[in-house]
Amino acid sequence: MSYQEKRTIVSIISGLLVLVAYCIYVFGKYQSHTVALDDLKFSATTMLIFIGIGIAATIIIQILFHIALSVGIAARERNHDEKAIEKEIEYPFVEDEMDKLIELKAMKIGFIIGGAGFIAALVTVVFNCSVAVMLNIIFLSFSLGSLAEGILSLHYYRKGVRNG
Amino acid sequence: MADKFIITNNIRRLRFFANEMTQQELAEKAGMSRQTIIAIEAGKYSPSLELAFRIADAFGVKIGEVFDYEVERG
Repeated sequence: MSYQEKRTIVSIISGLLVLVAYCIYVFGKYQSHTVALDDLKFSATTMLIFIGIGIAATIIIQILFHIALSVGIAARERNHDEKAIEKEIEYPFVEDEMDKLIELKAMKIGFIIGGAGFIAALVTVVFNCSVAVMLNIIFLSFSLGSLAEGILSLHYYRKGVRNG
Repeated sequence: MADKFIITNNIRRLRFFANEMTQQELAEKAGMSRQTIIAIEAGKYSPSLELAFRIADAFGVKIGEVFDYEVERG
């Protein structure tokens, strides 16, 4: 499995963890009637906090992943000289046109899901649903879009990608 | 139905004749990742013209010796 595939799996898992944590926290609050469904301040604050947690978690997990990967390579190549190990560690991080094409194609799907979620959120307002429902649909659709991006990237790395 | 163009390559054969050059060595020479070389060799990715020239250059041959195409009549 290549470095890019491993990195994608790590970001899918971290994204999924944050999304699950958000759902458990928010829907738990709604079900226990601790907060009202139309409490916009709660929704906005929670979303901002979870966006922050998501960014921090992604950075920390990626750093830990890089450290683990570098340690793994160094341990595997311990019989070679230091320069060879450094080269071996640096090389997997090379990004070329295939990575960029995969990223572009996956991002397109992520934006489509996010956009569809935004439209669905507007439709809920038309049908007199709470604004908190709209906000949650937008937040969840962008999170799901991001997850779909990761899954699709993984699919393209495995099955190949065509130009056009 | 429209004709289908399939790009084929001789990278495996060229690597063999280049003293069994590894995919990693080719990737380093052509300035790309090993993952991309694997995908191109397996026919899962068609590289850009620039990348194709760089691969040919790494073997010291013309681009036509590395890549070819077949037409599948629709």
